[in-house]
Amino acid sequence: MKKTTKSNAWLYCLPAFILIGVIVLFPILYTGYISFTNMNLYHWQDFTFVGADNYIRALGKVDSGFLSALATTLLWTGVNMVLDVAIAYLLAVGLNTEGLRAKRIYKTLLVFPWAMPAYVSILVWRVGMFNTEFGLLNRLLTTLGFDKMDFLSKNTPAFLSCMALNLWMSLPYMIVMIDGGLQSIDRSMYESAILDGAGPWQKNWYITIPSLKKIMAPIVIMTTFTMFKQFDILYLLTMQKGAVSGSTLQTIITYAHQNAFVSNNYGLSSAVSMVIFVIIIAFSLWTNRAAKAERSEQ
Amino acid sequence: MKKKFYLKKISLLTACAMTLSVLSGCGAEPAPAEDTSAAAKEASSDSSSAASQSSSETAASSETTDSSEATASLEAVTITAWHDNDEAMMNALADVVNQTLEGENITLKFEKKSDVTGQIRLYGTDAANGPDMYLFAHDSLGGFAEMGILEPVENLIDPQKEADLLPMTLEAATYKDVQYLMPVYYETLLFMYNKALWEGDIPSTTEELYDYMEAHTDANAGTYALVNQHSTSYNVAPFINGFGGYIIDKDANPGLDTQEMKDAIVYNSKFATLQADGDYNTVTTLFNEGHAAAIIGGPWLISGIRDAGIDLGIKSLSDFTLPNGNALAPYSGVQCLGVLKYAAESKKDAITRVLEVLAEPSVGITLAQGFNCAPANSKAYEDPQVAENEMILAMEKTAQTAVPMPNIPEMGVMWGPAEGLLAAVNKSGENVDEAASKYQQEALTAIADMQ
Repeated sequence: MKKTTKSNAWLYCLPAFILIGVIVLFPILYTGYISFTNMNLYHWQDFTFVGADNYIRALGKVDSGFLSALATTLLWTGVNMVLDVAIAYLLAVGLNTEGLRAKRIYKTLLVFPWAMPAYVSILVWRVGMFNTEFGLLNRLLTTLGFDKMDFLSKNTPAFLSCMALNLWMSLPYMIVMIDGGLQSIDRSMYESAILDGAGPWQKNWYITIPSLKKIMAPIVIMTTFTMFKQFDILYLLTMQKGAVSGSTLQTIITYAHQNAFVSNNYGLSSAVSMVIFVIIIAFSLWTNRAAKAERSEQ
Repeated sequence: MKKKFYLKKISLLTACAMTLSVLSGCGAEPAPAEDTSAAAKEASSDSSSAASQSSSETAASSETTDSSEATASLEAVTITAWHDNDEAMMNALADVVNQTLEGENITLKFEKKSDVTGQIRLYGTDAANGPDMYLFAHDSLGGFAEMGILEPVENLIDPQKEADLLPMTLEAATYKDVQYLMPVYYETLLFMYNKALWEGDIPSTTEELYDYMEAHTDANAGTYALVNQHSTSYNVAPFINGFGGYIIDKDANPGLDTQEMKDAIVYNSKFATLQADGDYNTVTTLFNEGHAAAIIGGPWLISGIRDAGIDLGIKSLSDFTLPNGNALAPYSGVQCLGVLKYAAESKKDAITRVLEVLAEPSVGITLAQGFNCAPANSKAYEDPQVAENEMILAMEKTAQTAVPMPNIPEMGVMWGPAEGLLAAVNKSGENVDEAASKYQQEALTAIADMQ
């Protein structure tokens, strides 16, 4: 490649590089810088370099509470991912059934939760679904003669309630992606399979699922990250100031928020953020490597 | 070939333009055309130097007079204050100030912001984008004072001008013996009842109140005698203070596991079982829709109650006696104006004049008449209309036993553990001793993490 062409290529990319630098890189580097200082309420303008003190304190938070939060996070991520993919797959396949009427209406309705801002969805569910006085679930219970139930006050029902809402919010994306993948599968493969005597199960197992794998891999990885760092659903349903529900569910993000971010100690919370950042990067590298290994096996 | 050459040039130019536009945001803010700040600064330094030649008392008054004259000769100055209150109320407050200062070219402008304390933390040192003042409850004072972003109000206004302010409000505005804030009005919790639903007289003891609640509550049918945010520390404070407990003391020691606190929580939980979910939206809706006969709440509920057409009765919480003989003692929250340091440097005289007007009874009278706010200025209560306002009288009475919310910075991290403890006992049915010990530890960790 000519020297000028090479330098022109860099020049064309420069605006994008600067944007990425300002929006993505700078905040990370600045957080890294703050994590080595004692910036807090008492040293707001006169903060100084304190070395690795904040990291020692941040790692000191890796106690039983953190480990329990990590276990909850893994359980949350695993269960939600499995259900998300399985339910979305079934619905997407169902929507692609030949001869199904009003497909477009069903698809539009299914995408609706995705179009709503997350904050609104969560608050609507908190009041409209789980509230002891006005929630649909309690209305049903009292109509059937049962006592009211506080779905968010204890850990297990709170986990299931949060999960139901999470699936309601995340399914549309997964359905749209799988639906798109299904459209790209060559119909002639199914026709050949029918000629070979394959039933619906065999067609799904030997044609649909293998054909979707490559399309699904990046989507599953991205969604796994979203689930792993889930904050808003758990926080707004169970621990929002003024509406604490009583359950003690914590994921690593809510645990970090509770233990570092409410203190206005920016040095310490930056160190905790950097530790979480490293964990997520490690998790990302591991999943990428696993996906790569699977591709090379194929 | 020629076309390709032009396309290349155009692409390069576009890339350069995009790069420049991306970087343009990093430029410094241009200096404002109307540099009143420098002039005001000069005027204020003149007035200060003049004042310093006299005795302290004369100095204070001459400084105020000089500054008034200096301000009058200056260009128009706009003082911006951030708040998160009712906008109609803030506009009424601004109108009183602006009408008084009409001839002095000073305008007070309120801007509504969500999460005012968070915004002040972000913009508290940013003279270009931050406000000159803010209006918020006094409990955030300690944090801002420690950050060094506030100018003490006592440096800006003659103490004589504040002589009529209620001592409780001045106490709330003071941190480490320095008065940082200017009290405007205060709020406290009240017992509010629907006259059409409440049967008989309002009890005078909490035990009688409990008996009434037991007899008039049917949770499954969704009808309640009294609702309260029973797991929010601000709303449980009347019990906590009445039992002699505390969330945090003056020396920043959390008191979640003290015996008095635990007794208060257990006593409150008895009421909580008859008070629905305890979430703000739930309890206000129950009351406004006529499913609850009474609610423990503050003046911020009034507009919703009026819209619902409820015939409202009010009783001071200090009229209820606990089994230990003490009255219920809620927290009081004093809404104060704080002045940012950079604003005090550049607009000192104008800010001083605004503070002087805010300390006058007329501000309190306007807020009381139009918005049921309890004025910080004691003279405002002499106004006949204010003197007849049932809600304000109840708040004034409650103010005698009310405890100002702690304003030390550590209070900021106490709301979470205190609320967690109340929810654990009231909603999850946890043992009070175990929960108190767990949340006391959480509070200690949170306080340690601040340093």
